[in-house]
Amino acid sequence: MNFNDFGIDSASMAGSLETRLAAACQAGFTHAMISATDIVGHPVSTEAAVQTIRNSGLRVTGLEALRDFEGLDGKLHDYKVDVARSMLQLCSRIGSRVLLTEASSSIHADIAPDKIARDLRKLAVLALPMGIRIAFKGLSWSRTVRDFSAAAEIISLANCPNLGLAMDAFDVIAAGVPLDDLDLIFPDQIFLVQLSDFMLQEIRSTEEQASTAAHFRVFPGEGAHSESIARFIVKLEEMGYIGDYSFDVYNTDYLQMPAETIADRARRSAEWLGETVLRRTLPVPNMERLRAAKRQAPG
Amino acid sequence: MDNATERESVPEQQNPIGMDGIEYIEFATSKPQALGGVLERLGFRLVARHRSREIELYRQGSMNLVVNSHPADIPRTVNPVERPVISAMAIRVRDAAAAFRRALDLGGWEIPVHARAIELNIPAIHGVGESLIYFVDRYDEFSIFDIDFRAIPGVDPHPPAIHDMHYFGLVQYVGMDRTLDWAEFYGQILGFRPLPDTVRFGIMPKGLLLQSPCGKFCLQLIEPDGAAQFAPMEEHFQRIGLGTPDVISTARELEKRGIEFLSTDKVHTSERGALTASMLGGVMFELVHTNDGK
Repeated sequence: MNFNDFGIDSASMAGSLETRLAAACQAGFTHAMISATDIVGHPVSTEAAVQTIRNSGLRVTGLEALRDFEGLDGKLHDYKVDVARSMLQLCSRIGSRVLLTEASSSIHADIAPDKIARDLRKLAVLALPMGIRIAFKGLSWSRTVRDFSAAAEIISLANCPNLGLAMDAFDVIAAGVPLDDLDLIFPDQIFLVQLSDFMLQEIRSTEEQASTAAHFRVFPGEGAHSESIARFIVKLEEMGYIGDYSFDVYNTDYLQMPAETIADRARRSAEWLGETVLRRTLPVPNMERLRAAKRQAPG
Repeated sequence: MDNATERESVPEQQNPIGMDGIEYIEFATSKPQALGGVLERLGFRLVARHRSREIELYRQGSMNLVVNSHPADIPRTVNPVERPVISAMAIRVRDAAAAFRRALDLGGWEIPVHARAIELNIPAIHGVGESLIYFVDRYDEFSIFDIDFRAIPGVDPHPPAIHDMHYFGLVQYVGMDRTLDWAEFYGQILGFRPLPDTVRFGIMPKGLLLQSPCGKFCLQLIEPDGAAQFAPMEEHFQRIGLGTPDVISTARELEKRGIEFLSTDKVHTSERGALTASMLGGVMFELVHTNDGK
């Protein structure tokens, strides 16, 4: 089984950081997505949160999320660069190699692709000495970069090796994107794939998509779109994607249930995907080893 | 394809910051005398001391080498420990303030002034690991060392180099799949360019060579091999490359002075280059054959 390909998102669970990480470990996960608010909102101290994460035995899939970074000028730009620096330092302290960055939805942001690309390139260079990769994600409610193909265009324009794509299955499925559109993406450009399902059969408006995205996601296999998710990750595998999958399940009901219960649901989802949908050939504990193995494999 | 450049207008190699070689390379260590001993055997001479901080200047020919044992006071910079580490490279540029501003615009991390080893306002950004990159524009008529440093009485301030040794470059260890990242970093911020794989220097064949826009300095990026691939990412400057037109004679002279060179099946002194044994828990130097004193 290839359970290790899948990570849980701490934002899916309620409780203290310690409770949630323990629940993730208990359920057998080896990596977890961490929110910046988990760290700075720790009741003792930021350092205590950092130590909790470092001692948890979990690898950090990535830190989320830097928002509304690109497209700003003057003092707003300087302010956001400062925010980005702070998040990158946090990212480095918890040993995370990925910073999830969401496309701007600010009405103050410039929508010129050149400017967006230049700002993201700067962010990537800031992250570079620390060994952090920027996973840029289009948002359906962004003014500029609404989906993965738009995000991929910006990334190509910026052209920096540690700047890549975060893909969210929810966005692909909710928007009804044909899977062949994924052929436009180079698999090496994808730094993170987020997976979630949802209960609604169909999403009719951007508002509905935004609210579903924020509150009513469920784990893959639990919702109405199991087959679409299965096809989505099989497609990514065929393309040669070798990175992490993370369950970005944001659900207000789940935040009223014990973390252990949610982690168990996540585990069942990962087992379904690992055992029946995705049969990777090598169980791999982390990206480094994965890449080394890929490089040494004949052909 | 030999005449390709005659058919097209190939732009001159760009040098966005007016780089003009290396002003100094800095080691940090809490045991400056032990490192000083190694440097003396390599032909360096202690020529000056900082007026107020625990910093020494060694020199040989065109090479300035700074030994910093002053405790650091901000995170992400080297705090001197016993084992010497390469903690900074200072590059000569046309206009240090402009090069610095440009670096920040592109995503460099600024170093607060109070944390810089030398008191003069020399702008610096973070480099690999805990190391710094300084921008220096005073190196012609008078240098930064004329201001902050006191010369050691009775010592030739410009000791000649053994067999025209000069800085050839720095070897930087990078993490798995990090070569392109660092090539981008040095390309963007300093204007370094990758040399084709067919151009090799020395006897250590691995890694990607980047050449400075002034053509006077190289960086060699080396990814982990074997079991090191599975270790946590560790990135730092690993050793200094010293160029010389005559490797064999230089190595012989340095051996006489007490420097040991590796001599195994794979790595041994040849006309192309030589590699010293590891000293003081990890300090190494590499000799690299170059055609002239550049």
